[in-house]
This record gives sequence, C-alpha cells and structure tokens, in this order.
Amino acid sequence: MQENNADIKKRNIRDQEPILELRDVYKSFGDRQILKGVSFKVYAGEMLGLIGPSGCGKSTIFKIICGLLEPDSGEVILRSNDIGLVFQGSALLNSLSVRDNLALALERRKLSRKDEDEIIQQKLSLVGLGDYMQSFPTQLSGGQQKRTSFARAIVDDPKIILYDEPTTGLDPVMSTVIEDYMSELSNKLDAASIVVTHQHSTWTRTADRVILMYSGKIVWEGSAEQGMHSDNPYMKQFASASREGPMLAGVV
Amino acid sequence: MTESLPKQNNNPLTAPFRFIEEQATVGVQLIGQVCLLFVKTLWYILRLDLDWRETFRQAYMIGWKSFWVVLITAIFTGFAMSLQISRELVGFGADTAIGGVVSLALIREIGPITAGVMVAGRVGSSIAAELTTMMVTEQIDALKVMRVDPVRFLVVPRYAAALVMIPTLSTYAMFVGLLAGIIIAKSAANLPPETFLDSVRQTILDRDFAVHYLKSAINATIIIFFSCAIGLNTRGGAEDVGIATTRAIVWTMTAIFIFNFIVTSLTYAPR
Ligand SMILES: Nc1ncnc2c1ncn2[C@@H]1O[C@H](COP(=O)(O)OP(=O)(O)OP(=O)(O)O)[C@@H](O)[C@H]1O
Ligand SMILES: [Mg+2]
Repeated sequence: MQENNADIKKRNIRDQEPILELRDVYKSFGDRQILKGVSFKVYAGEMLGLIGPSGCGKSTIFKIICGLLEPDSGEVILRSNDIGLVFQGSALLNSLSVRDNLALALERRKLSRKDEDEIIQQKLSLVGLGDYMQSFPTQLSGGQQKRTSFARAIVDDPKIILYDEPTTGLDPVMSTVIEDYMSELSNKLDAASIVVTHQHSTWTRTADRVILMYSGKIVWEGSAEQGMHSDNPYMKQFASASREGPMLAGVV
Repeated sequence: MTESLPKQNNNPLTAPFRFIEEQATVGVQLIGQVCLLFVKTLWYILRLDLDWRETFRQAYMIGWKSFWVVLITAIFTGFAMSLQISRELVGFGADTAIGGVVSLALIREIGPITAGVMVAGRVGSSIAAELTTMMVTEQIDALKVMRVDPVRFLVVPRYAAALVMIPTLSTYAMFVGLLAGIIIAKSAANLPPETFLDSVRQTILDRDFAVHYLKSAINATIIIFFSCAIGLNTRGGAEDVGIATTRAIVWTMTAIFIFNFIVTSLTYAPR
C-alpha cells in the first residue's frame, strides 16, 4: 500500500500528546444510562468524525468536554482551554446582533473595536454573511443562524473545535464551503476537532478518523474510506443505511 | 434492617406531609440560590465591573416600560385612599389632618408596595421568562463555553439598573398618588390644596423618605434575584418558561409583602 501525505501527517501527529482525551466516561440521565465507558483521543491537526444513531449521546459528549455537564465517572483531559463549540441548535444570544454575538467570543482578548470588527467581518464573509453584521438572530433563516453559530465558534481561533451538526440545514454548495473550511482550519490552527454529523458528505470529506457509537459505546473505529467498505456489522449497516443489522431503529 | 420498616411511599396519610416537605426543600434551595447570586452580583458591583451599555439598556427596560402602569395604579390608589380618609376625618371635623394621613400612608406603605408589585409583575416576570428561555435554548451554555460569566453578563446589569430605577419609580408613584389625593380632597371634602400640603409638611419627616428608599431598594433586590435565580436554574422545555414565570411572580410578591412588614416593624413600632 502506498503511503500518501495524509498518512505521513497522521503518523507524525501520533508521536505527540493528544490535545483532548476521554477516558472511560460514563453518564446517565435519571436511570437511563447514555454513555457506558467512552474513550478516545484527538491529536493536534486531526479531525475526528463522531457518528451514531440519533439520541446515542453525541451532543452529551460535547457538553461533557466543554464542562457544561459532569461525567458520572471517567476522565476528560484537555491540553487547552480554548474551546469553540458549534451548537446543534445554534444557541445564538437573541438580544445581541450577529456582530455582538461574535464579539462576545473575542471579549477576553480586549481588542479595539476596529480590530474586533475586522476579524468579525472576515469570519462572517467566510460563511457568506458579510452583510449581516447588524442583523439580529431572529431575523435570520435557520441555515444563516447555523452559519453564524459556526463563525462564532471559530472566531477566536480555538485549539479545540467541536462541531455539532455544522452542515445540517445548509444547501449542498454551502455545505461544501463549510466542510472545506473545517479542513482548512484544522490544518491552519493545528486544532483538535471533532465533528458530529448525520450528513454523509461531511464525515467522509472532513474526518481523518471516524468512530461509530451505539448503545453508549464505541463499536467501530477507522478511516472514512475503511468505513465505507467495512465488514463490521454495525458500520456496514450504518454506512449503507440499511434496516438489516444489529442496530434497531429508535433504540440507542 | 431497612426491610423491616413499613413502606411509606404511597401512604395517603403521609402524602400531605411529603408534599409540604418537597415544597420546603424546593423553597430552601431557591433561597440558597438567591443568596449565592446576590453575593456574586454584589462582588461585581462593588468593583464597578459593569457592562454600562447593557446597564443603560436595562434601566430603560425596567424604568420607562413601567412608567405608565405605575402612573395609572398610583393615581387610582391616591384617589381611593384620599376618598376614604377624607370621609372619615371630615366626620370627626379633622379636615386639616387629611393631607398628613394620606401622605403617611403613601410614603410609608402604599407607594413602595404599589410600585414594587407593579414592577414585579412587569419586570420580574419578563426577566424570569427571558432567562428561562435562554436556559432552554442553550444560550446560557453558549456564554459559558465562551467563558463569559452569565452572572456578570445578565444579572449584574439588571440589578444595577433596578437599584436606580425601582426607587425612582417608587418616589414617582408617591408623588403621583399625593397629587391624586389633593385632587380628591378638594373635590370631595372641599379641602384647599394649601391646607392639604401644610398638613403633609407637618407630618412627614426625613426619616420617612429614608425608609421609603430602603423599602424600594429591598423590593428591587427581591425582584431581580428571585426572578434571575429561578430563570438561571430552570431546565427543560418551552412549557417550563411559563412555570418559571409564575413561580417568579409568586415568590417575588410574597417576599415583597413580608419584607415590607419587617422593615415597618423595625422602623415604626410603637415604643
Ligand atoms: N438534560 C438531559 N436530561 C435528560 N436526558 C437527556 C438530557 N440531555 C440528553 N438527554 C438524553 O440523552 C440521550 C442522548 O442525547 P444527545 O443529545 O447526546 O443525543 P445525540 O446523539 O446528540 O442525538 P442527535 O443525533 O439526535 O442530536 C437522549 O436519549 C436524550 O434523551
Ligand atoms: Mg445531538
């Protein structure tokens, strides 16, 4: 097998310490156990794809990484506190304009208003919202809100970037723009990124490595390419969107 | 050991006590949250670590938007009180005391209570609804991820604004009520405004204004911290917004009446 550039990059990555690591994380809500021992590592410059059925606990993992939820047991080890999170539901502050939503993420840097505006303008233009600085979130469409949330998460060049469904609700062209930008960012910032998505193109195009979750555990891990041709019964069923297999619809 | 104890869970005899116990636990929890929030907010305010723009915006929301409701309630409270008092005092031939009695009631009790209750209804409920909505739509989570303290961003500007605006509204309610009182005393008891005002001047002391201010500052504190604590500690979905709003109004109004009595009893008890 021929070793390409990406493989070389990945091998080098593995020589370093991971930026983000989960060790045997458990989490229940009431008597429903959602995470039953989840462990993984993400290295600098790497994009991890996290896939699995709806309700299996992907967003919960993100909230645990950000410290919004406490795990019942297990460890979360972060080598950086600069975290950007694209919320599944956008979570824009409705009382603030698009500009001020992004400015909030820059507040700690105490920039002059001019520098702030420059950065914000640039990031908004990237997601096609350069003309919407002064709009309020309720005046935006769902996809525009999603893109604003994306811009807000990455405006401060974080070291850990968590994308919860970054392309859901976007048209195919905009999805591609966002996907390309995600890959570019993870290289440029040398950030550790995780993308949660149900959109096939997003994980196949951006993820260096993919993990599949089912029933609170990781049931498969590999590259997107391997995932497409995997014999693992879970991955095979997931990749082919089939009803036949070990995963039961609606059971997580 | 525990197996030998009778199972208490569904006993109809203990159900009311369990209900009281649950309610008391929730109440104690809320009061704890209120105190914690108060200390945190005070810490920011004492260091003057304020978002001034947001504070002015809140002052506008709290002050100006309550202007009309407070005006109307104050007028009618002034009318009703003056009418009652004029009627009684004229019967005793004590017309000249009308102004004093009306103003005492207005400055010491009715002014702060009316303004407090109206603002609690308008402002407290909208703060609770807004913050609960922000909780359930993950806006508060977004603040935390950006490492913006929700207390500094949401509670501090509201409290700073309320601490200025609610006493202002209260004073305004007092003057409007007094004016309404003068009008009624003139038309119902044919009392000249000068007589009314003379009586006010002889009765009201500086201390009454101080207590008036104290009461309305306490009202501001109650309104902001109960509604913020309830908002920031509610989780769930859209239906919880309504529940949180109702809860905020009930707690705020109850606390306003209780604290009003405590202040009155500490400052005006007969010796
Ligand atoms: N605050 C909460 N209280 C109770 N249960 C919760 C809470 N948050 C999540 N859950 C439950 O945890 C499970 C996992 O939720 P999570 O949002 O992590 O799923 P997900 O994998 O992101 O799903 P989706 O792909 O649909 O976004 C769900 O069954 C959900 O009902
Ligand atoms: Mg999710």
